[in-house]
Amino acid sequence: MTKPESFITNGIRIDGRKPEEIRPITIEVGVLDRADGSCYIEHGLNKVLAAVYGPREVHPRHMQKPTTAIVRFRYNMASFSVEERKRPGPDRRSVEVSKVSREALEPVIFTEYFPKSSIDVFVEVLQADAGTRTVGINAASVALADAGIPMRGLVSACAVGKVDGELVLDLMKEEDNYGEADMPLAMTQTGEITLLQMDGNLTPEEFEKAIEMAQEGCKRIYEIQRNALIERYKRDIETEEEPLETPEEEPVEVETVVENEAEEETSEEVESE
Amino acid sequence: MNDDVMNQLKKDYLYKLMLENKRADGRNFEEYREIEIQTDIIDKAEGSASIKLGNTYLVAGIKIQPGEPFPDTPDDGVIITNIELLPMASPIFEAGPPREDAVELARVIDRGIRESKAIDLKQLCITPGEKVWIIFIDIHVLNDGGNIMDAASLATTAALLKTKIPEKQYQLGNNNNDDKRLPIRNIPIATTATTLENTIILDPTNDEEQIAGTKLTIITNTNNTISAIQKSGREPLTPTQIQHITTLAKEQSQKLREKFLEV
Amino acid sequence: MSEKQRIVIPGDLVSRDPARRGDGTYVRDGSLYASLYGLVNEREKIRVVPLSGKYVPTRRDVVVGFVKEVTFSNWIVDIGSPYEGLLHVSEYPRRIELDEMSAHLGIGEAVLVEVKEVDPMMKVELTMRDRRLRVIRSGRIVEISPSKVPRLIGHGGSMISLIKGASDCSIVVGQNGRVWINGKGCDEGLAAEAIDKIESESHIPGLTDRLGRFFEETKNDADLNESDSNESDSEEEVVVESGEEAGKGNNIIDELLE
Repeated sequence: MTKPESFITNGIRIDGRKPEEIRPITIEVGVLDRADGSCYIEHGLNKVLAAVYGPREVHPRHMQKPTTAIVRFRYNMASFSVEERKRPGPDRRSVEVSKVSREALEPVIFTEYFPKSSIDVFVEVLQADAGTRTVGINAASVALADAGIPMRGLVSACAVGKVDGELVLDLMKEEDNYGEADMPLAMTQTGEITLLQMDGNLTPEEFEKAIEMAQEGCKRIYEIQRNALIERYKRDIETEEEPLETPEEEPVEVETVVENEAEEETSEEVESE
Repeated sequence: MNDDVMNQLKKDYLYKLMLENKRADGRNFEEYREIEIQTDIIDKAEGSASIKLGNTYLVAGIKIQPGEPFPDTPDDGVIITNIELLPMASPIFEAGPPREDAVELARVIDRGIRESKAIDLKQLCITPGEKVWIIFIDIHVLNDGGNIMDAASLATTAALLKTKIPEKQYQLGNNNNDDKRLPIRNIPIATTATTLENTIILDPTNDEEQIAGTKLTIITNTNNTISAIQKSGREPLTPTQIQHITTLAKEQSQKLREKFLEV
Repeated sequence: MSEKQRIVIPGDLVSRDPARRGDGTYVRDGSLYASLYGLVNEREKIRVVPLSGKYVPTRRDVVVGFVKEVTFSNWIVDIGSPYEGLLHVSEYPRRIELDEMSAHLGIGEAVLVEVKEVDPMMKVELTMRDRRLRVIRSGRIVEISPSKVPRLIGHGGSMISLIKGASDCSIVVGQNGRVWINGKGCDEGLAAEAIDKIESESHIPGLTDRLGRFFEETKNDADLNESDSNESDSEEEVVVESGEEAGKGNNIIDELLE
């Protein structure tokens, strides 16, 4: 891979996106049959699978917590997921990513409902192309819902970076490799930030704007996550039901209206802060 | 439910079915589950394939990089095979260093490819004694529905058939393009049978594996020779059983090999 | 059933009235939100009925367990939950010696037990001291998601009766999603298939009708002789039932003897 001469030409990035545009995302729910919940996401060239087991008994027992469930998160990159083969097993990077990803999700999980148990999240990166930790969090969040784990809401994650001195949303590989900054962020539906990391160089003004951009990205990703979960069962419900009895769009439309209201509240909250 | 202790009733049920010449999923004893193979699914890998064998789901990725040959084979390419039984694939797989069954699986797959001479290693020499192509076969098991061995073997072979040597990327070799295929001369295929009392079944599910006695894997080649055999499990096998399984493997692998004409 | 099905995910607003809080919801800023991925059930209380999830034991639940360990005076029972159950030797239906525990109930064997007590530390004590409870030595056990148990039972036991009638089996539904199918000469396979169908289609409206059609089709296929009525030789029928209305199935042990 060589550094492109310029990353942004006439407001368009090397992969054809505008600065505040995210890559195409497809989400599939319930793809693994042994796991209690699972999710597969293709995000740009990233291909990431998440599985959730639990709540289940904790092994080893000394890790049990008397009043809450423990959440364990294992982020793993397949050896073939990157240009240069990665040695199998955890390295320092994946240990750190696992830790911050777990902390990104823990605030939304009602761990107090399952004392002494564990909720185990496994993220497998099959193909990596920048932003795998955010994709892993997005997949894990959907897989947790699919597993029937009680949560306050989903968590959505997205990165902002800087290339050619300009802030761009959702870095792809070249932008990540040769860019001037990379800032992954995860947030809850109510706008609380549960993951924030940055490396590179940003001015305080840029940092402030980067947060806003990342939040916008997360909101868009949230809609895609939500839609994937709804669609999984909606199709069944619609095709099997007598069309006369239940107008096709209705249940979801009701939902969407409600959702917008909730979001408006959220954005107000964020603005007033 | 705990997988380590299967409840007696379920065992009884599977045995009862067996006596009626039936299996829980309706297959006959020598029938494989539906196989779905997709190749070239990982752009970052030089070759790749995913397979769904019933509920078993895994991905094989091939990476090729230049490196040093082994001292005893200075002008041969190198094959390194690894299987990850990911903790996402089953409630009983745990994170951590490979368990002995992962090591066994990887070594059997490796022997099948190596001993069948499926890859012409001589052609993978860049500078004798100094630099050769190293082929990394990494198999990631994503869902264990039983018979990982055969699924891994099929996915590996499918991926190898599509693998290209990255000559251009590393500025090596005489072609200087990335389109040169890996020299494949043989299609080794694993067939695994397992004993259930006096019966022999092919392609066991994870439930069947729990009540099974012993597994026998036979890796056969295009010309019907055998390049690897592995007995796995405590119970002994009789010579008759082994012969029977070998015959089944020969027939079955021919059928499976036809899959690759489609790929 | 033409009940409108509304799917929600965790964090979706379900009501502005926090007083209507039912299972699967939580209150935030004075409104009611879903905490689970599931279908909204709007009665007096608003519940979110999950589409998946683990069984959490509650006192008086009847469950099917598998013995996974025998200790000095307890059987340790896997009850399909993050928490194992303890069955003390004194909770066995009759008095047995400590050194005979394994002979009466060994590792891998199935038991129909009741949850006697659950403490805040999630220590789960089980009992077999009720005539409905027993060691299960015949028939089959199939598993469904515990969240589907109310659907399998149906309103007032309608669904399970339908299956029992068609298959001639005695069926006991454990709150933990393990279902015991049993009966001399009954069609265990048919019952299991029907339960499987409910497991995979319970969120789709019109389930009862579809199941009725399913039985009709299989009946036609097999050309069964119709003389066998519902009252066959299934000796005793026990239904452990979950009330649809009840928040969790702890108050609802219903016994139907035929």
